[in-house]
Amino acid sequence: MKPDEFEQQLQRQPLRSPPEEWRREILEAANAAARAQTPAFNPPCEPWWREWLWPSPRAWAGLAAAWVILLALNTARLATPPGVASVSPPPSREMIMALSEQRRELAELLGDAQERSPAAKPAPPRPRSERQSQKTSV
Amino acid sequence: MPSSLELARLYDDHAQALFGFLLNLTRNEADTRDVLQEVFLKLARQPERLNGVRDERAFLLRLAHNAAIDRLRRAVTREKNYEELAAESASAFARAHDPDEQGFRLALAAALGELPADQRAVVHLKLWEGLTFEGIAETLGLSPNTAASRYRYGLDKLRARLRPLYDEIK
Repeated sequence: MKPDEFEQQLQRQPLRSPPEEWRREILEAANAAARAQTPAFNPPCEPWWREWLWPSPRAWAGLAAAWVILLALNTARLATPPGVASVSPPPSREMIMALSEQRRELAELLGDAQERSPAAKPAPPRPRSERQSQKTSV
Repeated sequence: MPSSLELARLYDDHAQALFGFLLNLTRNEADTRDVLQEVFLKLARQPERLNGVRDERAFLLRLAHNAAIDRLRRAVTREKNYEELAAESASAFARAHDPDEQGFRLALAAALGELPADQRAVVHLKLWEGLTFEGIAETLGLSPNTAASRYRYGLDKLRARLRPLYDEIK
């Protein structure tokens, strides 16, 4: 569609130019905005352990503290001299008598057993068939 | 980040067209300056906006149009009504030495101010940017038919308003 005369007349009207000083002002503002977009420095990389602990550092710290306390208690227990722990009150007279009685009975039993079977050597196991014949013979 | 040279090139290539378009839309030089600066700040902050753009001028006109319309809407809700805004009379046209020509330009600026902003935008892009209706539609986010009808309405109003002056200087 061709423009008519009136449209051509309008098209011939020249447009104004923007004021000269706008160029400097607008470009300065734009360049400042562009600079502000780029970060001033790159933050250093986080150490691996901080990344690992990151989600719940307090919980991890609490757990670590509990372990330290347990370790300390354990170390303290091992450090006490063995004599201190084994000190116990001297046995009573009744206990000594009971012990000596037990020893005597044990010695009697052992002596009796030795008399009944002087060959203390245990016999090697026999085949099952032989054991059965032994039973029947008894 | 776009280099300052690239921003300067964009300004030199397109600022005049954007200035005329914005001044016709806002009718106010201070608003025009603010919107023009806003456009360049956007380009500086988001240079990727220009990636893959085939027609820089059309893209920048669209950016400017959107920013100007936002500003006009804010101004209307804040302090002014459309009539007051339309009455603002900053002219987008250069001064003429010939008094008749100057009179015609002033009358043209006033007549443009009486058009609704959407018709004014279409008329400006058709007459002074030489865009087709398809180009105008793409720039302003309209259908080509809407762009064409807005142009016709706007031009008819200008013709009716300027006919006596036009007959004089013809």
